[in-house]
Amino acid sequence: MSAEFSVKSPIQSDRSSPLRFIVSHILRHPIAALLLVAGAFSNAYLAGVVPGAVGDAFSAVLLNNERTLPLVWNSVLLIIASQTLRSALQFARNFSAEVFAQRFERDIRDELYSSLLGKSMSYHDMQPVGETMARVTNDVREMNFMMNPGVNLITGANMFLIMPAIYAPGIHPQLIIVPLFFIIAHSLSQIYFILRLHPIAQQVRHSFGRMNASLAESLEGLEIVKGAAQEASEIDAFNSLADLVSDRFIEQGEFEARYLSVLLFGLTVVLALLHAATMYNGGAIGEGDVIAFLGLISLFQFPVFISLFSSARLASGYASAGRILEVLNASAKLDQNAAGNRGALRGGIQFDRVSFGYDGGEPVLSDVSFRALPGQTVAIVGQTGAGKSTLSKLVNRIYDVDQGRVLVDGVDVRDWDLQALRSQISIIEQDIFLFSRSVAENIAFGRDEVELERIVESAAAAQADEFISAFPAGYDTIIGQRGMTLSGGQRQRLALARAFQTDPPILILDDSTSAIDSATEDKIQRAIWSAASGRTTLLITHRLSQIRWADHIVVLRRGRVVAQGRHEELLRSSESYRHIFDRYSSSDAALPAAGG
Amino acid sequence: MAAIFGGLQGDKYDRQYGDAALFRRIGRYMAAHKWLVILGLLGFLLTGMARAVRPVFISAAVDEMVAGGGALALLLAVMTAITVSEYIANYGRRRFTVVVIGRIVARMRKDCFRAAIERDLAFYDRHKTGAVISRVTSDTQEFGDVMLLGSEVISQFLSVIILLSALLSYSLELTLILLATMPMVMLAALVFRHLARIVTRQGARAMAVVNDNIQESVTGISVAKNFRQEAMIYDEFSAVNILSYKINLRRGLIMSLVFPTMGVLSAIALSIIVWTSSHSVLAGAFSAGAWYLFIQSVDRFWFPFMNLASFWSQFQQGLSAAERIFALIDAENTVVQRASRRLPNMAGAIQFQNVSFEYERGQPVLRDFSLDIRPGENVAFVGHTGAGKSTIAKLITRYYEFQAGRILVDGVDARELDLTDFRSRLGIVPQQPFLFSGTVIDNIRYGNPDASRDEINEIAYGIGHGEWLESLPQGLDTPVGERGARLSVGQRQLVSLLRVLAQKPAIFILDEATASIDPFTESQIQDAIELILARSTSILIAHRLSTVRSADRIIVLRDGAIIEEGSHQRLMQNGGHYAELYNTYFRHQSLNYVERAREMFAASAQ
Repeated sequence: MSAEFSVKSPIQSDRSSPLRFIVSHILRHPIAALLLVAGAFSNAYLAGVVPGAVGDAFSAVLLNNERTLPLVWNSVLLIIASQTLRSALQFARNFSAEVFAQRFERDIRDELYSSLLGKSMSYHDMQPVGETMARVTNDVREMNFMMNPGVNLITGANMFLIMPAIYAPGIHPQLIIVPLFFIIAHSLSQIYFILRLHPIAQQVRHSFGRMNASLAESLEGLEIVKGAAQEASEIDAFNSLADLVSDRFIEQGEFEARYLSVLLFGLTVVLALLHAATMYNGGAIGEGDVIAFLGLISLFQFPVFISLFSSARLASGYASAGRILEVLNASAKLDQNAAGNRGALRGGIQFDRVSFGYDGGEPVLSDVSFRALPGQTVAIVGQTGAGKSTLSKLVNRIYDVDQGRVLVDGVDVRDWDLQALRSQISIIEQDIFLFSRSVAENIAFGRDEVELERIVESAAAAQADEFISAFPAGYDTIIGQRGMTLSGGQRQRLALARAFQTDPPILILDDSTSAIDSATEDKIQRAIWSAASGRTTLLITHRLSQIRWADHIVVLRRGRVVAQGRHEELLRSSESYRHIFDRYSSSDAALPAAGG
Repeated sequence: MAAIFGGLQGDKYDRQYGDAALFRRIGRYMAAHKWLVILGLLGFLLTGMARAVRPVFISAAVDEMVAGGGALALLLAVMTAITVSEYIANYGRRRFTVVVIGRIVARMRKDCFRAAIERDLAFYDRHKTGAVISRVTSDTQEFGDVMLLGSEVISQFLSVIILLSALLSYSLELTLILLATMPMVMLAALVFRHLARIVTRQGARAMAVVNDNIQESVTGISVAKNFRQEAMIYDEFSAVNILSYKINLRRGLIMSLVFPTMGVLSAIALSIIVWTSSHSVLAGAFSAGAWYLFIQSVDRFWFPFMNLASFWSQFQQGLSAAERIFALIDAENTVVQRASRRLPNMAGAIQFQNVSFEYERGQPVLRDFSLDIRPGENVAFVGHTGAGKSTIAKLITRYYEFQAGRILVDGVDARELDLTDFRSRLGIVPQQPFLFSGTVIDNIRYGNPDASRDEINEIAYGIGHGEWLESLPQGLDTPVGERGARLSVGQRQLVSLLRVLAQKPAIFILDEATASIDPFTESQIQDAIELILARSTSILIAHRLSTVRSADRIIVLRDGAIIEEGSHQRLMQNGGHYAELYNTYFRHQSLNYVERAREMFAASAQ
């Protein structure tokens, strides 16, 4: 069980838990990590120099004699020198955090992207593109913000939090009491707030999301709203959601207004003054020391004002890491079976009592049996949701059956080498994807250095040459650039041209295009008829003319085969099939009715 | 801190309303919460005072301590009281502020939404729905955020002003010196804002390139896998990923400089104050405690001024947001009703009398257009794109205002109808059927919320024995997902038709979808259409041959004028424009085409 694709030197990380994942990424950049912590520490340490210098200046001012000015001058020099150095270190801290954050983003995106490329189609099929995009873009971005400003400020703030406790004993050992009190009280208040605030903030986001969704729906469906004269009920519904958002917003604001660390800080200043004054009166410290101590206490302001914001960043980064890990750790279930059958394929397909449900859930297909001989065209018909597309995904093993067997050339698909099987089956899906490259590259996709002549040949067979040649840049036209949009029918014909290039023995075509005019329909018909000729074709289509002339028609209803055979047989055996053509024959009475 | 970075990234918008008009308007919203605003302001004042007097008391306490006076205990007690009242006042200030802002934003949103839903469809031709949505949500959000931010900055300045008066009482000269250091801060903040805007724009652009690349490769992953081209697309991704890293790191370099630079400037300002105020103490101008007060004040001044410079552009944005909100609320409709007459037993007769209409000035779509539709008649309109088929439907529904002539419904001028009453008698199915999130049955009931479950069951199972419900796991109670995404196009169309059946309208307006639908569902859609046709006057903008042929009368349009009308048979025999349209649009839908397909195409396939 190896991944379908892996990068040469993949990024190794510990994927067992979000925390370990984050730590393992941090450890990839030990120098930046060291610089971040060292920068943060020395930044805070040097910030602690200022109160001492101010205290010294204060003592000098109190002397009030000729020595005052030289002493104050010393303090001034100390302040400027230490703060310049501090700024340099703060820059080191900030920039290391930035390097960290950007590398986090780059590496995790790379890791995630490689992992996505390695996952089988069964994974991608189940995952909406929007979901995957959200992981690779938003969640990766969150990881960036988690490092900077998140980790950066938390580290910085915590250094400021411990610094007074480091400096104060230098003035007098007893002075450690008040800083310690604040550190403990603030930490407790912090934990309490984060735990309580998180669910409130989530509710705010949730209610906002609901309001947005409802709003978008009402305005996008405005024609229906107005047509059904339902403006009043839409307004009522929106108003109650707007009130809900407002209530939640107020709830969060009210809770934030209670932020206790602000009060704790104010009280700590009073306590500090009380303690220092008492010791000053007892003669244990001087006036300058009191001022220095008060200055140290004011260092607490930084953690008080920054902690809530940076913890929120940490929390959302952590949640993102969890979501990213979900993708990284999702396994691709199919096994390559590289030792399996790898011969050239002739094109016989047989479904033998096949049952299948996604993830083993409700069966989407039950007991389906039919056979396509090499070169035949089999039309699969039925209502949306009858299981047509699912059936087509069992042939090249995008999914494996739950019961029964799918045989290709008489060999169970699970006994084929996956690579050999898939490379000989071409699938054209409902939504046809084209890369933003030239038309020629899209047709030749996957094969280097194909002669233009061969590409034009394929395009012509797919009835695409005419519209391609009409582009100013012809085959060099870049798809998707500046208004270069293609209709569904044109995309389908480009995909058919691609299939002509690889010339597979089996073609699976999920055709859901519709032509507005008859001339275009003629072209699509011609392209499909040529594509189907000379190879086994499973055709999921709404086109009556394709169904009418298929070698074999399988009618699915709720995942079961309710009828199969040629057109004439089905007209006899299936009521709903007859109903389709009934309507046409009656309404077409004026025209000569041929056949059936 | 985040707000500072946010402020550094601002942008400016154009203005239409005068500042005074804008503030008056905002003031009216605030007036609705007069008492809360007053309470909040009281909180502002108290908080500002408490913040300002705290350093004053600290320096007084220091003076007292140095002098060895006995009032120290009293001062400490007062400071404790101030701290506690500051906390309470601050709580009150923030609480009343969020209540006022929360309610104002909600009120604005409601006004916006009402305005948005009342705008006619011509408005949405000029303005994208997405842009209107963002006015209702993002602009109001931004306005609220700015109000909150503004209240924070105002509160900071309030305490600066109070502190300033205390400082002035000590020394005019030193106060001026302190204030003189502030332009330095503001200048630095402005320079950084400018730099940050440039590098942030580059960073955002680089991000967009990466996201586009990922979007494309994730969407096209099946193709890449089918052709085993993973390595190639990985290399492409890796190149842009690394490029984005480099550009964003450069942005980080600039951003990392902001606070260290501010730190150095702050140290310089502090040094200036330490130095100059020491002179004042030596000159005997004031006490050591006053000296300490000035030292403490540096930081307190610093912060609000830095914020003001950083947030300036955000305030401008907030006002622009308010402007966009008011512009939406004030926008005028072109469809105006002159009276509100009701038609209790509408029969469904429609007359166009010399109607002229243009979407864009000078580009008439209908000119002097006249047409009579009898009650209960089914009329199909055919013609090339732009011939005016949909326009006719949009004028009947009063989605657009015509410029000349009259449209009569049961003989009453459409401009004199009560729109709500009138539209509730219309059953409309647009080309892209739209469902609301909720269940299938919710959607069928949308136009007639009082319909009973039995009624809906009868309608739903009346079509093809309810075969279309088979693939819906919970039948009628299946959630349809956002905009009906969990249903196929055909199913969505069926639900829209059943919605009309449940509504029992006098007039049915169908703009038929061109999407491809499986033949089983399509035959059920046809059944549903036929049921409706039997019950209402019908306006059919047909794209299916079978629908055209089920009409009583086909009207052939070219350039906004009727050039032929009659039944399918007669029009075909005439060999005119209809026969031409048939060959262009309907030929491939005939049984004849199906039967001859092999003849026509098999040969070319060999």
